Amino acid sequence: MKKILAIMLAISMIFTLAACSGSTGSSSSAPAAEAPAADAPAAEAPAEAADASMYEVTEPITIKWWHALEEQYSPLVKEVVDDFNASQDLITVEAEYIGAYADINEALVSANAVGKDLPAVVVANTDYVAQYGSSGLYENLDPYIAATGYDVSDFSAGLLVSAQYDGKQVSLPFLHSTQVIYYNKTMADENGIEIPEQWDYDSFRTFVEEGAKACGGYGTVVPGWDQWYFETLFLNEGVDIITDDNTCDLDSEAAIGVTNYIKSMCDDGIAYLAYGTGASDNMRQNFYDQKAFSVLHTSSLYNTYVTKCPDFEVGMLWYPSASNGDHYSEVGGCVVGIPSKNDQATKNAAWQFLQYLCGKEVNMKWAEGTGYLPTRNSVLTTEEGVAFLEQKPAFQCIFDNLNLINPRIQSDAWSELATTWKDYMNRMINDGADVESASADMVEEINEILEDHA
Amino acid sequence: MSKKPTAGAKIGEKSHAWYYIQPVLAVLVTIVMIFPLYWMIATSLKSAEEVQLIVPTLYPHSIHLENYISVLTRANFLKYYWNTIVMTVGILVLQVGTGTLAAYGFSFGEFRGREVLFYVVLGALMIPLQVTFIPIYIMCANWNLNDTFLGLILPEAVSAYYIFMMRNTFLSIDRSYIDAGRIDGLGRLGTIIHVLVPMSKASIFTVTLVTFSNGWNAYFWPKIIARNEVRRVLTVGLAQLKQTFAGQAVANYHEIMAGAVLAIMPLVILFIVFQKYMMTGYSKAAMK
Amino acid sequence: MAETNLEAAAPEQKKPFFTARRKAKIVDFLMVVPALILLAVFTYYPICKLFQISLTDWNLLNDTWNFVGIKNWNWLFAGSGAKYMWNSIKVTILYTLGELAITMVGGMLFALLFNRMTRMFSAMRAIIFVPKYVAMSSAAMVFLVILNGNYGIFNYLLGLIGIQGVDWLNTKSTALFAVLMCTGWRVVGYGMMIYLSAMMGISKDYYEAASLDGATGRQQFFKITLPMLSPTTLFLLVTTFLSAMKVFQSVDVLTSGGPSRSTEVFVYLIYRYAMEDFRMDRAATCAVMFFLLLLIITVSTMKVSNNSVNYDA
Repeated sequence: MKKILAIMLAISMIFTLAACSGSTGSSSSAPAAEAPAADAPAAEAPAEAADASMYEVTEPITIKWWHALEEQYSPLVKEVVDDFNASQDLITVEAEYIGAYADINEALVSANAVGKDLPAVVVANTDYVAQYGSSGLYENLDPYIAATGYDVSDFSAGLLVSAQYDGKQVSLPFLHSTQVIYYNKTMADENGIEIPEQWDYDSFRTFVEEGAKACGGYGTVVPGWDQWYFETLFLNEGVDIITDDNTCDLDSEAAIGVTNYIKSMCDDGIAYLAYGTGASDNMRQNFYDQKAFSVLHTSSLYNTYVTKCPDFEVGMLWYPSASNGDHYSEVGGCVVGIPSKNDQATKNAAWQFLQYLCGKEVNMKWAEGTGYLPTRNSVLTTEEGVAFLEQKPAFQCIFDNLNLINPRIQSDAWSELATTWKDYMNRMINDGADVESASADMVEEINEILEDHA
Repeated sequence: MSKKPTAGAKIGEKSHAWYYIQPVLAVLVTIVMIFPLYWMIATSLKSAEEVQLIVPTLYPHSIHLENYISVLTRANFLKYYWNTIVMTVGILVLQVGTGTLAAYGFSFGEFRGREVLFYVVLGALMIPLQVTFIPIYIMCANWNLNDTFLGLILPEAVSAYYIFMMRNTFLSIDRSYIDAGRIDGLGRLGTIIHVLVPMSKASIFTVTLVTFSNGWNAYFWPKIIARNEVRRVLTVGLAQLKQTFAGQAVANYHEIMAGAVLAIMPLVILFIVFQKYMMTGYSKAAMK
Repeated sequence: MAETNLEAAAPEQKKPFFTARRKAKIVDFLMVVPALILLAVFTYYPICKLFQISLTDWNLLNDTWNFVGIKNWNWLFAGSGAKYMWNSIKVTILYTLGELAITMVGGMLFALLFNRMTRMFSAMRAIIFVPKYVAMSSAAMVFLVILNGNYGIFNYLLGLIGIQGVDWLNTKSTALFAVLMCTGWRVVGYGMMIYLSAMMGISKDYYEAASLDGATGRQQFFKITLPMLSPTTLFLLVTTFLSAMKVFQSVDVLTSGGPSRSTEVFVYLIYRYAMEDFRMDRAATCAVMFFLLLLIITVSTMKVSNNSVNYDA
C-alpha cells in the first residue's frame, strides 16, 4: 500500500506538470473574466433618444427580485409582490430571499462575473453602491428616468445622493434606516437614569454605567459584526477613514481615542463588543431578557424590538455627539437597482417594478410595518409625517435629526477595508491586542488594499 | 459464569474489576455520545420560552410539534429535500457507473499504460474539490450550470476512492470466474453484471452506502454552485436558517433544531434499517 | 511474452488493423475512459488552471485579467498575505492533529471499551457510530445550541460542578477546541469501528501463544494488538488526514473562521479570498499553496510510515 501511494504521488505530480504546460498556451480562451459584458454597452448606446417606447414592456415576462429581508418581513414582501403582480398583466415578479447583505453581494458579484442567472432587480446595502457603480454592475438609471419622466425629486435629497455613484443615479432609495440606540425606558425611569438633551461621549458613558448597574448586566452592546454601527463614532470625531490621498487614518490620534473609549467601557465590564457566531441574536436576546440595558442597532428593527419586549417600553435615542459637537449619523438599509448585464426586455420590466417598489405607497407600508424610514419628502415634511409620528412617537429623535443622516463613504475598496477593520476591532477590544500597534498594523494592511483598488 | 467473548485486545482479562467497570463506563460514554442527538430532538419540541431558560429543562415540558410545521412552511424544506435527493442519486448513479466500469478496466483490462493510468486516478485523491473549486466554478458558470442539478452533480461524478475500493474488491475475486463468464459468451458488461456484481454484492452495497451518505452530507460545493433557493440542498439550507430564523433571537433555536432533525431523518432511518452494512462498510474498506 | 508469440504467428500482410486482440484492448481501455475524462476535466485541468490564475491579477469585482508574474506569490510569502497564510497553516495542522488524535487514540480507546460481543454492547456501538451519518450542518447546529454562552446546557452542566464556563465558540482560545468537539463527536465512532473489526481479524493463536509464555494483558496489547493493527492505523492516518485537512463545513457553520481568525482553516481562507473578497488571484495562489502542502505532508507521512508498519496482518 505504501508503495502504491508513493508512486501515485510521483505520477500525479508529473501528470500535473505535463498537463500544465499544455493548458497555459490556450490561456486566452478560458477565463470568464476576459469576456466582459459584450452586450452591456449595446443596451446603453441609444440613450440619447429619450424615447419612452424603448423602455416599454411589450411581452409577458417573469423577473426575479433578490432581497435581504429576513423571515420576519416575509408577509410584507409577499403582499407587496402579489399586489404588483395583480396590478398588471405582463410582468410576474418572483421574490427570492438570498441572505444578509453580504450574501447578496457574494451571489451578485459572482453571477455578474459570468453574466448569467442575474436577478432583474436586486437590493444592495448602502456601502456597495460605489462598488456596483464603478464596475458597471448596476445599470445607470438616468436614461430611464428621463425617458419615462419618473419624478425623483420627492425622494429626500440625502437618500437620493446615497443611491448615486459619480453623479449617476445607479439605484433608487428603497429601505432606509439609521444608527440608533435602543434602551429600556421602563428601567431608566425606574432607576432615575436621565438622558441629557444634548449628550456627548462622556454622558453616554455615565448612561451606560448607570444602566449596567440597573440591569445587573451590560449598560450597552456595541455590534462588532458590522462596522457600520461604530464607524459613525469615528467619523464624528473627525476621522476620515479614507483620506483624500487614498490612505487610511484609523491610526490617527482621534481614531485611537475612539477605539480606546469603546475598549475602556468593555474592559470595565459595562459593555461588550458583539462579535462572532450568533453575535446579533445573542445581543438582541440580552436586550429582550433585560440583561442589557441598551444596544446600538439599526432603526429598521424598531417594530421587532417593540414586539419582542412586551414587558417594558423600548426607547430610541440618537448617537451622542463627538467632542466637536458633531452628531451625524449614516444612512443604512438598502438601495435597489438593476444589474446591467440583463437583456433590455428584462431591464424594462425591472424598471417598472423598481418604480413601484420605491413608490410612496409601498414605502409607507414598510415604514408602518417595520422600522424603516419614510423616504419621501411628501411624507416627511407634511401632515402625513405627523400622523406617522403619532403612530411611532419613538421616531421623533430621527425626524429631529433627518438632515444629519449622511450618505456612506463610497469606495470600491470598502468591503475589503471593512472586513479588516472589524477583524482588528475585535482583536483590540476582545483579545486585548495593544491598540496603538494593532492600529498601525491595520492601517498598513488597509493602505495596501486601497492601493490595489486605486 | 463464563465471560463473553471479546475482540482482539485482552486488556484486563485477569482483572475482575474491569469486568464490572467496563459496562458501567460504556453506558456512561454512550449517554454522552447520544446526548447531542437527544438534545436536538428535545429542543425541537420545546417552546421558544423554554429554550432560553437559564436553567435548561432536560426534557420538553410541553410538546410543540408546530415547530416542524413552522419550519416546513416558512423555509423551503420540501424543495431542499427534493434537491438533495436528486443530487445524491445523481452522484450515486454516476459514481457507481463510471467507478464500476473503471474498476473492471483497471483490474482485468489489458491495455498499455494501465498501471500508470491507475496512479493518475489515485493521484486525484490528493486534489480535492476544495483546492480546485475556483476554475471548476468558472467552468460550470460558463456552461450555464449554476443553480442546476448538473452543476451540483458533474464535478462529483467520478470518485477515485470508489474506483480504488471496487478494484480491490474485483481483484480479490478468483480470475477463473471471469474466464468462465467469458467462455459462456458474456461480454464485459455481462461479466460485470452476472459475475462480478453478485460475487461482491456486500462490498458494492457498503461502498455505495458510503457514497450515498457523502453525497447527502455534501456542503462545500453545493454552497458555492447552488446559492439560489431553487437548487439549495438541505445542508446549506439548514445553515442558512441560522440567519433567517436565529438572526433575531436565540429563542428561535427550537425551530432550527426541528430543521436539523428533518435534515438527518432520512439517513438515520437508513442507518437503522441497514445498520449492519453501514457499520461494517467503513471497516471493510479499511481492510482492503 | 504470449503477446509477441501471437503476433508473430499472424501472417504479416493480411493482418487487419483491428485484430480481435487489439479490439479487446481498445474496449478494455474504453471502460476506464469515462472516469479518466471526468478526472481530467474536473481535477487535473483545474489544478493547472489554478497555477495560471495565481500569476494574474484576476479580481472578479472588476474583471481584470493581466499577467503580473509572481506578484501574488510575493504577497503570499513576503507581503501582508503571509501572516494569514501561516496562521491558517497553524490552525489547519492543529485541527488535523486534533481530529487524528480523536479518531485514532479515541477510536482505539472506544474499541477497547466497547469490545464485548453482547447484544447490549452491539446496540451501544450502533449509537456511538450513528453520528457519522448525521449531516455535519445538523451536528454543528446542535453544538451551537449546546455550547451557547448564555443558554447552552454545556455551561450549565459545568456550572453544576463548579466550573465557570466561557462562550466557547466566541473565545479565541477555545473556539478551535469547540469545533473539534463537534467533529470529534462525529468521527470517534468511525475510528472505533475500524479498529474493532481489525482486532477481530487478529488470529487468536497469537494471544494463546502469548498467554502460554506468561504475557500479561498489557504486554499482549502492546506486543501483539498494536503492531498487528499498524496497517489499519496507517489507513486511518492517511484517510483522516486527507479529510481533516480539507475541513470547511464545521468551521463555516460554527465560527465562520473567527474569532480573530483563530479557526480560519486553509480551505476557509481560500474560500474567503475567492467568494467574499473576489480576489481570485489571491485565492488561487493560496489554493496552489494548499495543494503543495497536501503533497508534501502526504509524501513525508508515507516516508515515515515506511519502516514502522507491520504488513504481516
